[in-house]
Amino acid sequence: MTLKEKLTILADSAKYDASCSSSGSTRKNTGGLGNASYSGICHSFASDGRCISLLKILMTNCCIYDCKYCLNRKSNNIKRAIFTPEEICAITINFYRRNYIEGLFLSSGIIKSPDYTMELMIKTITLLRTKYHFNGYIHAKAIPGASEPLLKKLGKLVDRLSANIELPTSASLKLLAPNKNDNAVTKIMAYVKNNHSKYYVPAGQSTQMIIGATKETDLDIMAKSESLYKSYNLKRVFYSAYIPVNHDKLLPTLQTPPLKRENRLYQADWLLRYYGFTVNDILSPDNPNFNLLLDPKADYALRHLAEFPKEINTANYYELLKVPGIGVTSAKRIIKSRAYFKITFNDLKKMGVVLKRAKYFITCNNRYCLDKSLFKKDFIESNLILENPQIHNSNLTQLSLFHE
Amino acid sequence: MNKIYIYEDTFLNLLTLIAYLTQYHVTPTNIKTSNYSPNLFEENITLNLKNNPKIIAYLKENYSYPLKIMYYVYLSSDTNKELIIYYFYLNLQKYRHQLLNMRNLKCVSASLKISHYVQNEAHKLKGFIRFTELTNKVLYAKVNPTNNVLIILANHFKKRLPNEYWIIHDENHHLLSIYDKKNIYLINEKNLQLNLQSTSTTYEDLWCAFYDTIGIKERKNIRCQMNFMPKKYWSNIIEMRNQNEKSN
Repeated sequence: MTLKEKLTILADSAKYDASCSSSGSTRKNTGGLGNASYSGICHSFASDGRCISLLKILMTNCCIYDCKYCLNRKSNNIKRAIFTPEEICAITINFYRRNYIEGLFLSSGIIKSPDYTMELMIKTITLLRTKYHFNGYIHAKAIPGASEPLLKKLGKLVDRLSANIELPTSASLKLLAPNKNDNAVTKIMAYVKNNHSKYYVPAGQSTQMIIGATKETDLDIMAKSESLYKSYNLKRVFYSAYIPVNHDKLLPTLQTPPLKRENRLYQADWLLRYYGFTVNDILSPDNPNFNLLLDPKADYALRHLAEFPKEINTANYYELLKVPGIGVTSAKRIIKSRAYFKITFNDLKKMGVVLKRAKYFITCNNRYCLDKSLFKKDFIESNLILENPQIHNSNLTQLSLFHE
Repeated sequence: MNKIYIYEDTFLNLLTLIAYLTQYHVTPTNIKTSNYSPNLFEENITLNLKNNPKIIAYLKENYSYPLKIMYYVYLSSDTNKELIIYYFYLNLQKYRHQLLNMRNLKCVSASLKISHYVQNEAHKLKGFIRFTELTNKVLYAKVNPTNNVLIILANHFKKRLPNEYWIIHDENHHLLSIYDKKNIYLINEKNLQLNLQSTSTTYEDLWCAFYDTIGIKERKNIRCQMNFMPKKYWSNIIEMRNQNEKSN
């Protein structure tokens, strides 16, 4: 097998992992090759629009497990390959020198045992760090079930160490991934959290959930995320729209992956982490799924219209963040600027506020942008939905007489 | 007559001129480099001031962040950048450290916007630059930025690839930055003859194979891809160059 064939097989098996961020580490160049960039750098964008910043590969796609949703499960008849540590180093170093990548993302199928697999990964990364003096970013996937001394060793070598929770509830996990249990994953997370320091996994940990393979509602998923953020200090939870790669009677048959739902989950995830929202604010047992027509924040604002409109010149930071069209950056700018001058609608534009959404929910110096009688749920809702260009286009095609 | 003040195209010279103009309360119609051709109602004025490095030292000590913003605006390709810097500097004297919060002033919102644009482009190109290895082990890359971000890129790669010889060639501004494992040299492309014989393309082929594999077919989204990676940069990104050939 040529190196190119191997790379193709092992990149193809790794591509379903959503995480590709290279941020959060300040690793310096210590006389060798490379350094980390705190903000992270995207080096390319794939045809699906996702960023490529790391060389995302599996060490091997051979696996002793048989998880139903996974391309690399034991019972699948696919081409298998394994990289030697030297091969991984050569590709990483040569890609890095040419500035194709920001570093390495190394995951693996499980061969022999979790410990054996981890040892091979550690050998590879040690080689990269010591023999090749590589100071670039490395994200490694911890293998669930591996022993703590190995977790300790690997964590000291890499910038980010993560384990995928894969499915939002343990019932689903039992159903689709009978060889895995979520205890093994949370054990890794707890270990990484407790040992996290400048020298141990400096860029923190993340995890991933598959969306749409099982029956959970958005509320279940967001509640899981919220508890993960709280208990393990995760940097990110990634949501990955389920793409059917295997046929199994336990798996749903989907025509297209639920990308819009994934998008809404990410929007809500941001609201949790940066906007001071809780899951109970945005979802409830009577209303367990996201509105696909409106983003979660606009949806919240419409359901709590009594709290609005907010006065730009007096509302506090968290009140400003609740307004659709105002983000973290623009809210901070408003707070800073209004100490020096009274803000008008015209100034808001210069501060990066998306006025076409915000205008319904704010007043500037007690002036409302539109006629006050228009401050009604129906009016605002229909206007917000109509502004979405995708909806606009799909409405147009529905009206067409000559629909194919 | 409308007075156009002329500066040599360096940041130091521009600041020297602006400091002089503000000191003597002269309001220029515009400030331009010497290749500016005035129209019927304008006249070019060259003051031949001696560069005053003290002004940069002063700003660095007292207003380091505003200085940074002025520098990024200077690197931009904005046609009005000199005048924007002039008014920014003028208001800096008046409002001092509060200036950056005064976004209702046009010179402030424009400066922040332009400097953001320049930094953004530099950040993007830190990722999009592609080096090829020449036969003499030198890494060579071409870039085509809209703004003059070469110096930002060179400083980035000095930290990242300190043990390599590399050259970054800015085709749009006709500049080269050359690194000899110690220092960065900025050179006009007229003054240099390069032998661009490159070595084997093994790793380029491997990279393109990786790139073609990593995209998920079911999620194809070209609009999104182009939003993040504008087409104007594609000519120097090897994996995209091949995409163009494929679609033709």
